[in-house]
Amino acid sequence: MDIFLAMVMVFLQPELLILVGVGTFAGIYIGAIPGLSVTMAVSILISFTFSWDVYPAISLMVGIYMGGVYGGSRTAILLNIPGAPSAIATAMDGYPMAQKGEAGQAIGVTTVMSFFGGLIGIIVLAVAAPFVSDFALKFQPRDYMLLAVLGILLVGSLSSGSLVKGIFAGALGIAIGAVGRDPLTFTERFTFDLRIMEGGISFIAVMIGMFGVSEALQQLQNVNMKAVRQKIDRIVPSFGTIKRYLPLSLQTSSIGVIIGALPGTGGDIAALMAYDHAKRVTKNPEVPFGKGAMEGLVAPETANNAAVGGAFIPMMTLGIPGDAVTAIMIGALFIHGLNPGPMLMIDQPDMFWFIVGALFTANIFMLIFGLTGIKVFTKIVEMPRAIIIPLILLLSIVGAYAVNNSITDVYWMLGFGVFGYFMRHYGYPLGPVILGVILSRLLDENWRRAIISEREDLGRFFEGILTSPLSFVLFSSVILIFVSQTPLWAATKTRLSGKASS
Amino acid sequence: MNPDFRGDSDHHDGTSDATPGGYVEQRRPGELGFALFLTAASLFLLYSAYGISEFEALSAPGAVPMATTLVMAISAMVVAYRTARLKKVQSETLSGDILPGKVLLFIGFLIVFGLLLKPLGFVPTAALFLILAIKVLARKGWGYSFATAMSALFIIWIVFRVVFTVLLPAGIVPEAEFIQLFRNLVSSGAN
Repeated sequence: MDIFLAMVMVFLQPELLILVGVGTFAGIYIGAIPGLSVTMAVSILISFTFSWDVYPAISLMVGIYMGGVYGGSRTAILLNIPGAPSAIATAMDGYPMAQKGEAGQAIGVTTVMSFFGGLIGIIVLAVAAPFVSDFALKFQPRDYMLLAVLGILLVGSLSSGSLVKGIFAGALGIAIGAVGRDPLTFTERFTFDLRIMEGGISFIAVMIGMFGVSEALQQLQNVNMKAVRQKIDRIVPSFGTIKRYLPLSLQTSSIGVIIGALPGTGGDIAALMAYDHAKRVTKNPEVPFGKGAMEGLVAPETANNAAVGGAFIPMMTLGIPGDAVTAIMIGALFIHGLNPGPMLMIDQPDMFWFIVGALFTANIFMLIFGLTGIKVFTKIVEMPRAIIIPLILLLSIVGAYAVNNSITDVYWMLGFGVFGYFMRHYGYPLGPVILGVILSRLLDENWRRAIISEREDLGRFFEGILTSPLSFVLFSSVILIFVSQTPLWAATKTRLSGKASS
Repeated sequence: MNPDFRGDSDHHDGTSDATPGGYVEQRRPGELGFALFLTAASLFLLYSAYGISEFEALSAPGAVPMATTLVMAISAMVVAYRTARLKKVQSETLSGDILPGKVLLFIGFLIVFGLLLKPLGFVPTAALFLILAIKVLARKGWGYSFATAMSALFIIWIVFRVVFTVLLPAGIVPEAEFIQLFRNLVSSGAN
């Protein structure tokens, strides 16, 4: 009964219902504007909501996340410019459909399939998370340490072309997270005898700088891009159309949930993999892929929304974010005195079930707004970038300042914004930096606990890894990621595939 | 499916954290300098991490920072070495594609914003920033820039200062008195 009450809390409190609705609407809007990411929006938002009660704050963020993942498809279909990375695959067949005058049909199917994918993701989250959480209670400190390393490495290896740049970014994040006084011994680390460094670097300032300011600076180069003009006809798809593509969307939802649940991967990778899957399983599409195939639209859109529920699984059960947005949401939960991880399900199960309920509500709002709010979105998406970019910068400053009422945080944010701008240009992924900052403490504390329990003996530590099946799997995964990126691995793979084909 | 497909015509611009910019086979202007800077900074941080607790114990407070900065230094060196071996992109320049005047100007605007925020207060500083920023980006008259900036600022101020009650530096503007006056007006209206 408690579970049920926590799940329907959003419906029982009008304030929360409104916040989820507003968040979903804002998320669709932000997602629809190319260049503006949901990560950026949530990172700025966290600084404004940290003084709120946790439920309203989470309601707003969940809405923005769900709406944003869906919103990216709008400009992907209409302009061939994905509003969000998760809509990259949508553009491949969505835009050709729009060119043939089928934009309304494309948007309608996208909306319904996004809803369907989101629903599957939420159901899996509700069913699987308690089991994962129970299992995670068996984790030892060294497993947590390995999990943190694995999470950062996965973000680095899957989100960019260069693993070494991903590793650098992740390590940088851990180093940033270590700045200040060590919580166990109170020793100063990377403070350079400066008092302002003793308290550490606000991770909100780092996040807003990296995702907000650097993105706005990046967008300055595209400021003259034409406003999005939308011309849409009939939108609600027929029952027959939905029924026809339901089996494919079921398959790609599963891909979305699994990929989303892997720490460090998100909707973008899930969507690309689902698109690839659709191409392989659809033998005779009515229209070829890349020229307006409906399957090419259904697969990525179901998968990227299913990945939302999936991303919450490691976040809620292990304290390891599934993607950049959930990394920021972990920060939000920390700020509100909650500790995401296996104990959250035991200490505060209400919070978990509330999030499930809020996600479900956001999914319904997404369907309603997606199918009805066309005219409103048409107007607001046309807002010129010359106004949007200065506003984002202004909100970034207000957000960074508001957390601690500190001008130092504003300077940190600016510094990381400029640094993040260069990182973007030169192909360094930003996700691992944030993940590193968030997981720094988890990694540091668990390493120290693990090595102390092994009496400072590295041999015993590795023996423990080899004798524990869980630690062994985690350790092997870390090694596999390294090896899979080496030239030797690539050469072996090519040789093997050459032998197989001959 | 082409794994390099980024869905837009200008796919090297790094518009998202998931698909960062840069070329695999070529180096962009300033890329080597950035890689060398990261190497030098990593080595300095490694030295600083060593100073935390030296090689005292594996569980010492400096152990993870030292391991982390060592990883940073090694990976930065590998990146610098690889970058140095790449050919330069011929179609790009540092001032045209990486650090154009507009970006430099806005970085300057933001630094000045930070410097003026406390002494001048949020409202006048934000107004100045928005007017100048919109004027520069929209390339329209002062009237348009002023009207747009002030309308946007008014909405932001109402949302964040009044609704979200975010405390921002008041500076030279008697903000608290304004809010009190506003509240008095509302309450007397209610009476």
